[in-house]
Amino acid sequence: MQHRKHRREARILTAKNAAAAASASLAAPVEDARVRAVRLFDRLGSSPGIAAVAAALRELQPIRSAITTVKLRIAAAATFTFDPLRAAVDLQALRAGIDAELFIAPYGQVAQQLLDPASPLAAFKPDVVFVAARLADLAPAVYDSFNSLTSAQAEALVDGAVAALRDAMAAFRGRSKAALLIQNWEQPARPALGIADGAAETSHRGLIERANRALRQVAAAIPNAFVMDYDGLVARAGRDAWADARTALFARIPVAPGHYWALAGFYVSHVRPLAGLSKKVLCLDADNTLWGGVVGDVGADGIALGPDYPGNAFVAFQKRVLDLHRRGVVLALCSKNEPAAVHDVLDRHGDMVLRREHFAAMRINWDAKPANLQSIAAELNLGLDSFVFLDDSPVECEMVRSALPQVLCVTMPAEPAAYAAVVDALNCFDQWTLSEEDRRRGEMYAAESRRRQLQTVTVDLPTFYRQLDMAVSIGIDQPLHAARAAQLAARTNQFNMHTVRCTEDDIRRWMADPGYQVVTLALADRFGDNGIVGLAVVRTATGQWTLHMFLMSCRILGRTVEQAFVRWLAARARAAGAAALVAEFVPTAKNKPFAGFYGDCGFSAESAAGEVAGPQRWTLALEAADTTIPDWIRIVESAEPPADAGRANSTESGP
Amino acid sequence: MTDRHSNLDRLQQVVAAVLGLDPARVDDNLTHDHVDTWDSLNHINIISALEQEFGIVLPTGSMADHQSVRGLRALLGQHGIEA
Repeated sequence: MQHRKHRREARILTAKNAAAAASASLAAPVEDARVRAVRLFDRLGSSPGIAAVAAALRELQPIRSAITTVKLRIAAAATFTFDPLRAAVDLQALRAGIDAELFIAPYGQVAQQLLDPASPLAAFKPDVVFVAARLADLAPAVYDSFNSLTSAQAEALVDGAVAALRDAMAAFRGRSKAALLIQNWEQPARPALGIADGAAETSHRGLIERANRALRQVAAAIPNAFVMDYDGLVARAGRDAWADARTALFARIPVAPGHYWALAGFYVSHVRPLAGLSKKVLCLDADNTLWGGVVGDVGADGIALGPDYPGNAFVAFQKRVLDLHRRGVVLALCSKNEPAAVHDVLDRHGDMVLRREHFAAMRINWDAKPANLQSIAAELNLGLDSFVFLDDSPVECEMVRSALPQVLCVTMPAEPAAYAAVVDALNCFDQWTLSEEDRRRGEMYAAESRRRQLQTVTVDLPTFYRQLDMAVSIGIDQPLHAARAAQLAARTNQFNMHTVRCTEDDIRRWMADPGYQVVTLALADRFGDNGIVGLAVVRTATGQWTLHMFLMSCRILGRTVEQAFVRWLAARARAAGAAALVAEFVPTAKNKPFAGFYGDCGFSAESAAGEVAGPQRWTLALEAADTTIPDWIRIVESAEPPADAGRANSTESGP
Repeated sequence: MTDRHSNLDRLQQVVAAVLGLDPARVDDNLTHDHVDTWDSLNHINIISALEQEFGIVLPTGSMADHQSVRGLRALLGQHGIEA
């Protein structure tokens, strides 16, 4: 994805053109392209047919760039006919905010396309490759003749298929940084040993489990390769009805047409986190969402929340939400109510699962919800496009949808028993890796909310900063920080000099390269440990250091840590004999918060600000540069990583 | 099922959507020879989409035959859909 920066800029320009064209051609009133898209996806429903998908895609074609924020080149290499999925993948990508250029490698040539440096797949230069290789195609006997095989033969077939994929992906990795998303293998709907399979020593299901285990190990050994749980998808949809024998036999399409949409959504959901498009905030309504009934009318004692139906449906819903929060989803509450009534339930109701401490921001008032959501986004320093909003009222959802089409709005179903499943179906929060920082993020945002309360009662900023008792730990070329550093680079959109992504592998390479330094910044304060929140990658030529990457989590901005980080880097560069620290700023749709930063740090621009739309070059002359670290920040340089920070707990897939 | 006009309209909409045509172009004289996008793969898509639209199951052989609007109408007729 190293070229995306340029494509992004191109996109921003074409988006303007497209918007201009749209407003010129449409009769008044002009509806926002994003609102139009949201309504279209609403009309499509949860399982649109082939014709509806084709028609919707055609309708969105002219506004593709206006409704997406990332352009990606996505390739599929499959052992089956992938083409019928093309329209659905394209449309699901648009829905996720991705303008996908799709390439489908010639049918049945997965290994060849990956291995051959001159293959059409290689020439396409993909950002992402779906490795859609079915074991049923690679080694059919494993499925259709299991009982004819000795266990040694069956295992040899499985191992051979795994080895072929491993070699092909490893060779491809040597030439391309594209993310490799490989689908795992489905269990047979009917094991070959029938009811004896469960107890058999060498069972049919056991063989497929073994194969999937081997596949996970392959993906774990190849940088930027991930396993997609295709078997889980098939199980959820129902194994018996997953395939249509007619299309399978006639056209080698191993999935029934009724599942194209779900399968395409499955593929795209695994790309979303790679593109930095995962949602981060879940904003909840209160009455008839967190509990049954209107607390203002019936009081805390009268709401439905407790051990019996319907109260237990709301308890189940809240437990699912809390579990999402525990893996890093930030929670917010937005309710039309008197604050005291809602606080009473949050603080005192014995069956509440979610408490005040779980919410990073709350708006309990009678204002319009779009305005409240905007104010929550501003308070949390998170973009509205990372918000999901749940409300039982179709009217509230409609208001939010038309005012803020970038927010994903979900109207709760009429049946409370179905509430928990609504949370389960939200795959938009998914991330490929979960670090300690993720698990604690919700908590950290809640602590941030207490910090802000402190800010409102203190008189001057330095006093506030001193009360925070900030301790910064800086790690230089610490391999244990690599996973978290890559993750931070993937997710930071706002305070980021150019939003170029990089892989964990890149980080490790820079750490080992004497021409680079990878500097991570972890921050702790009196309210808790924020973990690693800043990353700088510096090219260290004699005479001049260059910021190759510089980014910080928005969560900790506005406490002078970002300036201190630059000053620390400048001091280090000067100590190494450099005369200047050079940096670039590439404006994107999202990184406006970064725009004035270099200037604030004493850098001078080569061209006047605002004169150029593209990359801006900034220079800090080190001889005269102020490198004082404010007295309210203690800096510790660590040769060893801090106890907790950066111990990324990488797994090949989320829980 | 017996509303010939609305069934014809649905057939036209499905074929037009899959092939990327104006529905008005989808008349009895249209065959796969006239339309670039009406290839073997899109024909399977048309058959699948008609199955979805009308809630019927068509024979596997139809994925290769009936590559004309007239043929599709006849196929639907054999399955109780007068279009």
